Amino acid sequence: MNSKLHGLVQTEWRWLIAIYLFLAGAGGGAHITGVVADFMGWTQLANIGIGLGWPCVLIGCLCLIGDLGTARNAWRVARKPDTSWIARGTIIISIFMIVAFIHTVLWVWPGTMAGPEVGARHLVGVIGAFFAFGTMVYTGLLLGDAIPIPFWNTTLLPILFFVSALSTGVMAVVLVGVIAAADQAHLLTLGRVDIVLIVIEALVLAAYLHGSYRVPNTRMAAEHLLKGELAAMFWMGVAVCGLAVPLVIDAVGLHGAGAAAASILGLIGGLCLRYVVLAGGAMYPMAAAGFEFRPIKRSKDPMPAIGKMPPS
Amino acid sequence: MARYGMVIDLKRCYGCYACSMACKVANHTPPNVFWSRVLKGESGTFPNVVRQALPVLCFHCEDPGCVKVCPTKATYANDDGVVVIDKEVCVGCKYCMMGCPYGARYTVPEWKSYFPEGLPLSELEQFQKEAWEEKSGCGVATKCDFCTERREDGKEPSCVTACPADARIFGDLDNPDSEASQRIKRDRGFVLKPEQGTKPKVYYLPPR
Repeated sequence: MNSKLHGLVQTEWRWLIAIYLFLAGAGGGAHITGVVADFMGWTQLANIGIGLGWPCVLIGCLCLIGDLGTARNAWRVARKPDTSWIARGTIIISIFMIVAFIHTVLWVWPGTMAGPEVGARHLVGVIGAFFAFGTMVYTGLLLGDAIPIPFWNTTLLPILFFVSALSTGVMAVVLVGVIAAADQAHLLTLGRVDIVLIVIEALVLAAYLHGSYRVPNTRMAAEHLLKGELAAMFWMGVAVCGLAVPLVIDAVGLHGAGAAAASILGLIGGLCLRYVVLAGGAMYPMAAAGFEFRPIKRSKDPMPAIGKMPPS
Repeated sequence: MARYGMVIDLKRCYGCYACSMACKVANHTPPNVFWSRVLKGESGTFPNVVRQALPVLCFHCEDPGCVKVCPTKATYANDDGVVVIDKEVCVGCKYCMMGCPYGARYTVPEWKSYFPEGLPLSELEQFQKEAWEEKSGCGVATKCDFCTERREDGKEPSCVTACPADARIFGDLDNPDSEASQRIKRDRGFVLKPEQGTKPKVYYLPPR
């Protein structure tokens, strides 16, 4: 553990929450991609996006429930909604999943009628896309509302998560599209859209880290990401896997396996981005009368010296 | 109605951790849970270096960050201003641990003994386990509650009683004549991280 950050980094929200934030984003992004494809008349990609979106979010929610530890009353959150982003998020995500599920059952599921109610389908799609947008932005707002953690408490985080969610959503649709042998031209168009998204994401990420680095309270967290313990994951996972390689592959315009590989790497990058942001969430130390106070180092094993005691 | 608060005199505190121990004894907290902690800080450059201890606990803020983010209203300030957690309503989302600027909250997935795993629980440990599960619970947020049971018995919180330096003063901040209110006014009491806007009810008196 980086000694400077010892005891100040939050250790409660780790991989399960990172997977949840990632899947909620990618699922929402896939849904929006599907709805846009529907308006463009690309039926197959529309079906893939809309059929893929809500199950992703559902799996993410299962991770979230897993993180609560005891499943005893996960639905209490929804039953007593309050002015908290977790409560609001629960409602937004629930509505999104219900609308997207209805959409899937009515128009995407094979054998169900498609065609006659185009207006209704578009309307349900847009409502779903609206709540998908809410789901994607909410993941950033959730962290941003943790005021004591200045690394999260910024306007750029919801924007970063939204752009990343859109980008990973497009990539997820491309990945399944390649597997399902969807129209090449449409997939290439999506790849070109993804170029724009990746560039925006890289710019927002750079602005976010630059801003964090400039502020004393968040400088330690930014350093933790850029050259500390998280540097390997940040540079390899987020920068290379998630941004650089997919950008190059999309720009070259590879078909088939190449596009699928770019999508897989991009999705890994999206997950790594969520994780490094979570793992960099550090409070700043308490200070009084010219002193700065840091928590004492505690050993994981409360009594390491005793070792194994004989059974009595 | 009382509005309980605490004053900690940094001039008197010498960082002996008696408050941490007394809290553990009174609340049966499992390993790695410290409702009452002592932080150490250093200031100055060699050879003029000073060390200072800073005992911290839940500050029972007037405008608590943890209450703001709780999705189920499981944590709230009760009538005497003490911030408490209803373990029957808490869902264990740990959002309050992100919302508290002072790191006062702890969650344990299950109760653990201080002794190596595999040993049968002693009678005392069995009691501690049951007491912890009854009062605080596992998988939910837990924190200092100014020793509710001791206050009901008319005693002060255990960290106050245990402090060998008499550095802690517990009292009613609503009563201007209480020793706590008097000391805050007279000795320039201050709070930690005031920029967070949480208005803590645990005050500190400057070390020098």
